[in-house]
Amino acid sequence: MAVLGSLLGTLVGVLPGLGPTAAIAILFPLTTVLQPVPATIMLSAIYYGAMYGGSTTAILLNIPGEVASVPTCLDGYPMAQQGRGGVALGISAVGSFFAGIVGVVALTFFAPFLADQALRFGPPEYFGLMVLAFTVVASLSGGSLVKGLSMAMLGYFVSLIGLGPSTAEPRFTFDWAPLMGGVDLIALVVGLFAISEVFLGVEEARVAIATEIRNVFPSLADLRQSFPAILRGTGIGFFLGLLPGCAPGVTVFMAYDAEKKLARHPERFGKGAIEGVAAPESANNATSSAGFIPLLGLGIPASAPLAVLLGGLLVYGLQPGPLLFQKNPDFVWTVIASFYIGNVILLILNLPLIGMWVWLTRLPYGILGPAILLLSFLGAYSVRNSMFDVAVSLVFGLVGYFLRKYQWPLAPLLLAFILGPLLEKYLIQSLSMSGGDPSIFFRRGISLALILGAAVLLVTSIALVRYTSRRVRQETAEEMAL
Amino acid sequence: MSEAPTRGRSTDAKVVGGALVLLGVFALAEARRLHALRTQMVAGAVVGDDTFPMIVGLALLLLGATALVARLPSVKVTFPEGIPRARMLWGMGILVAYWIVMPHLGYTGGTALVSTGLYRTLGGYRWPVSVLQGAISTGLLYLFFRVWLLEPLPTGWLGF
Repeated sequence: MAVLGSLLGTLVGVLPGLGPTAAIAILFPLTTVLQPVPATIMLSAIYYGAMYGGSTTAILLNIPGEVASVPTCLDGYPMAQQGRGGVALGISAVGSFFAGIVGVVALTFFAPFLADQALRFGPPEYFGLMVLAFTVVASLSGGSLVKGLSMAMLGYFVSLIGLGPSTAEPRFTFDWAPLMGGVDLIALVVGLFAISEVFLGVEEARVAIATEIRNVFPSLADLRQSFPAILRGTGIGFFLGLLPGCAPGVTVFMAYDAEKKLARHPERFGKGAIEGVAAPESANNATSSAGFIPLLGLGIPASAPLAVLLGGLLVYGLQPGPLLFQKNPDFVWTVIASFYIGNVILLILNLPLIGMWVWLTRLPYGILGPAILLLSFLGAYSVRNSMFDVAVSLVFGLVGYFLRKYQWPLAPLLLAFILGPLLEKYLIQSLSMSGGDPSIFFRRGISLALILGAAVLLVTSIALVRYTSRRVRQETAEEMAL
Repeated sequence: MSEAPTRGRSTDAKVVGGALVLLGVFALAEARRLHALRTQMVAGAVVGDDTFPMIVGLALLLLGATALVARLPSVKVTFPEGIPRARMLWGMGILVAYWIVMPHLGYTGGTALVSTGLYRTLGGYRWPVSVLQGAISTGLLYLFFRVWLLEPLPTGWLGF
């Protein structure tokens, strides 16, 4: 499953303009027929693969699938223009591998600690955790908190459709049977991220670009030059990635800026400096790996692709959080073990097979677009064998297209859709425990700490988002959703 | 990606703001209905199925009103014209047609027709090429979903 997931993730991730979120959205339905463990392994490997695939299009085509790939374009594309695209891809693979392994090792050691905390968590603590998770909306909002919050509330509204959690009374259903089961997560994800992506691609008339790749193996001198940058990028990406809500889009710019400031000749940056590829790529993967710690341990996704992954865990019947480590240790350890395998496989896949990925970037959009639409349509149908879900994905495809055109961020919508029902459940359980007294959230240590942590994180996230938005505008003179 | 945003009262903010206000009103009305039900069914409960519709309804009203009056970052958006616009409209129309015909024509007939149409409209390929690509796609997707993943795809009038 790790091999297949890495292969599929890279395959979709290298397609021009398709970022990791779209890649996971397209492939997500295919994992739902599997058992939870292989499904999670496959979805995680798709995530890894898609993250790596994104760097291929950034380096070879100057197309960043997501904001996290923007710094890679800055030096990766000039390297490709100088005939060193293969080396840039190679160093990106090496840096990603190193950072990925560091992140997984840390997750391995952190897991038992989280398992020990499990018994201290009751509904009020989980409610605090959900409040903490909701602060991520700030970092996923892009340039406007009002837009982010609006989208989050829209997502929350959609999540309320169906049967109420305490009395099973239908809500927002108009007594129409298909709405009783609520809006399916996969239909929503496929519509918002996959179908809308195809229409944006058709509109932009994405074209294939011929690129020659000779050697992907960096020389010893390249490795020596890049290694400190890989180490620093890994450190920045990993430690910041532990903060719930700190997305790769933030850490890559920090890693790139740090490298530029430390360089003896900063004027080389932006013209094909290998450190300019090594540092952000390492930071990207370190943050992605570190993101699994708050995701699996606390149920907090740091980025849109991880939000889809969180949705996946819930669809497979697994509730992320400290109890996951205690209730399902076999699951957790198998998935962590698969991360090691997945990282090694990605390195094996990406260095010798780079020619195949480059060939894929040349596939005409006239073939890709219809193929993605058909896959999305059947994927949305296959989860519950429901044409209603297909209709939902088409409607959200249209809504997603317009929202993306006008830069209303979609990640907060998805996050609130996933976390909303959990927040509601834990609030109702907590207040039932306390007889309606809300001070229960402030009388219990962990719950209070989580709520205070949420306030601190909110302020930090807003500061980090402002920094990243400014840097994106400086580098591209354009605006991108984080 | 698109151009750097400017601040102003844009059409998109008005449309989204208006939609959020309407949804907020709807959520509050639903919360009121659920509240009445809760007080009948579960006497004395402080929270219930109406709590979050009320919170979300109020938040939607507030955010919708903010979007209507505040100067939010907005981008100048241009929509495609000519061939790209026709392709997009045809593409969406074909997907809707797929949704309508698949339960009747079944997976094989529906997918063959629709995939041919998509390659013809989105890809701009000639009819013979589109038919070939449609047949290959239908076969590959059948192998993938029906044979490998064992998904029960619709059979329709034709029985396959």
